Amino acid sequence: MQAQENIYQPSRMTVESVVQQTKDVKSVKIAFIDPEEQKKYKSAFRVGQFGLYSVFGVGESVFNICCSTSSDVVEFCFRRTGRVTDALWRVEPGDVIGFRGPYGNSYPMEKWEGKNLIFVGGGIAMPPIRCAILEALEHREKYGKITVVYGAKSVGELVFRDELDQWAQYPNVEVVKTVDPGGETPDWNGRVGFVPTVLGEAGISGANAVALVVGPPIMIKFSLPVLQKLGIPDEAIYTSLENRMKCGLGKCGRCNCGHIYVCKEGPVFTQAQIARMPEDF
Amino acid sequence: MSQVISLADIRRLAADFAQSGIVAAPLPTDSGKVFYQKVAAEEVQNIVLDGSLKCVNSIKEFLFPRHEVLYTFLRKGNDVELTDAPVFDTPQLILGCRPCESASLPILDPVFAWDFNDRFFQSRRAMTTVVSIACQKADSDCFCTDVGGSPENTSGADAILYPLDGDRFEVRLLTEKGKVLFAGKTTESSDVGHACEGPKATLDTAKITRWLNSHFNDPLWSELAHQCVGCGACTSVCPTCHCFDIVDEGSYQKGRRVKNWDYCQSALFTLHASGHNPRPDQGARQRQRITHKFAIYPEKFGAILCTGCGNCSRLCSAALGIKPALEKISSEAAEDLMPVPPLWVRNTQDK
Repeated sequence: MQAQENIYQPSRMTVESVVQQTKDVKSVKIAFIDPEEQKKYKSAFRVGQFGLYSVFGVGESVFNICCSTSSDVVEFCFRRTGRVTDALWRVEPGDVIGFRGPYGNSYPMEKWEGKNLIFVGGGIAMPPIRCAILEALEHREKYGKITVVYGAKSVGELVFRDELDQWAQYPNVEVVKTVDPGGETPDWNGRVGFVPTVLGEAGISGANAVALVVGPPIMIKFSLPVLQKLGIPDEAIYTSLENRMKCGLGKCGRCNCGHIYVCKEGPVFTQAQIARMPEDF
Repeated sequence: MSQVISLADIRRLAADFAQSGIVAAPLPTDSGKVFYQKVAAEEVQNIVLDGSLKCVNSIKEFLFPRHEVLYTFLRKGNDVELTDAPVFDTPQLILGCRPCESASLPILDPVFAWDFNDRFFQSRRAMTTVVSIACQKADSDCFCTDVGGSPENTSGADAILYPLDGDRFEVRLLTEKGKVLFAGKTTESSDVGHACEGPKATLDTAKITRWLNSHFNDPLWSELAHQCVGCGACTSVCPTCHCFDIVDEGSYQKGRRVKNWDYCQSALFTLHASGHNPRPDQGARQRQRITHKFAIYPEKFGAILCTGCGNCSRLCSAALGIKPALEKISSEAAEDLMPVPPLWVRNTQDK
């Protein structure tokens, strides 16, 4: 049997809305033009997975899908950094862009049921956490206490900052937001301090908890000992890796960390798994 | 009894095939170097069918082209029209390749098929008939016998030619495709061809794999890095290197998305938009290339990603390539008295 399907050809998507989150970060909602493709996507998508987003004539880039599984549209978030993100920066509602996915593994939300969830994020790393937060909030009764510790360099660099206060309205949800020293504004009502420090001072219980930590390597490095001190085992500390990818399908050969293809066996790994991987990320 | 065909008849067969299909075979260039090239019907006289010949390039470009259109796009107002690339459906004949070239094809099959089928490779593979020529002379860069191959390895071939005297070849038909190609073209004979003895196997690949799995950080990698200029020539002539890039060509209005060969020896290969590079130096990139071939691929797909053809070493301006690297690893591994358990444990989601 020979495949006829072109795995590299994206679905056409209409841009529904664009929100500028920070000076260089935007979030975009895109809708499938073909209802069949949407059906296929919806039955496949699990939070934690990623997609490839195309501006035709410019190129394709990889970002997490930052909405929950109930969403009919695909939402993603990007920082204006290179050629493709520069072109994405200029898209407007009504434009057509390309999407391939969902690809990769996902957060084991079923396994997390009945547990207290600790989400730790920094800067542009909010989107891959947000999808899990939204998923947990939509099924609030399935999870224990939810704690979100999120920080950025300055108030203006917090992504989805309007939503942080909305999440805090849910029962048994605590949102601790922080900015690095010097990044606060006069009306800032959150904490001032680096994420690992704030995480340690937040009075979080590590009992029956799982943690999802996504952020810059330096933040992850200093947050891990804090979580370990809370008694959370490495098997219950999750993160989402990012490596440069082109195909997302385990073929193009660049995202691997040793034996592990991040695009297929990741992007979600536990700290226990990462400790066994070579430092190829 | 053996089946025999004359050189003239093989040329005629190639000319006939080229009428309605693609023939790729060794052709000399003006410089005298021989490359696997597309052969037109009127060029079949120039095909070099020589069991001692080592072409500069690999046959992979006829199954995994260096540049391939995936689809085209055309902007119509806000909308974009996408047109799928045509499915490859031209019969293709690869004639007179070395057995270490044909052997690469079954090795590459699984990576283009795990979970997602790459139609581009698979359709070319299905349309291609491969006729190899049994090796008559190994050179100092050859090491097929070290990686499980041999001068008459039939893996990936549909038929194999053995040179006989008087411009004749014994043909051994290996698959249905091979039988169809040579049907009615051969005569019975009692002459039997032979392959050369092949290079003497000296390397223990299992030991090399074990060493790779436990020496992610080793001074050897920086030693290799000092020699390597990072040009990537080794990857372009390697029959098993298959990494690629996906880029857009054309304008914002109209263009195409293409798959191009890429190479792990380039710093850009893994460079993140943030500026972070997981493989920041040439040592890390050398390590990736060797480890991919001798530890990662065997674990994932059950085959060493190397056929011992030696193309890399023949072309390398820094006297590197896979074989010299393996020899260095072997001598390092010989000094390891205690077997070290693999550091890399295959990732499995915690059950």
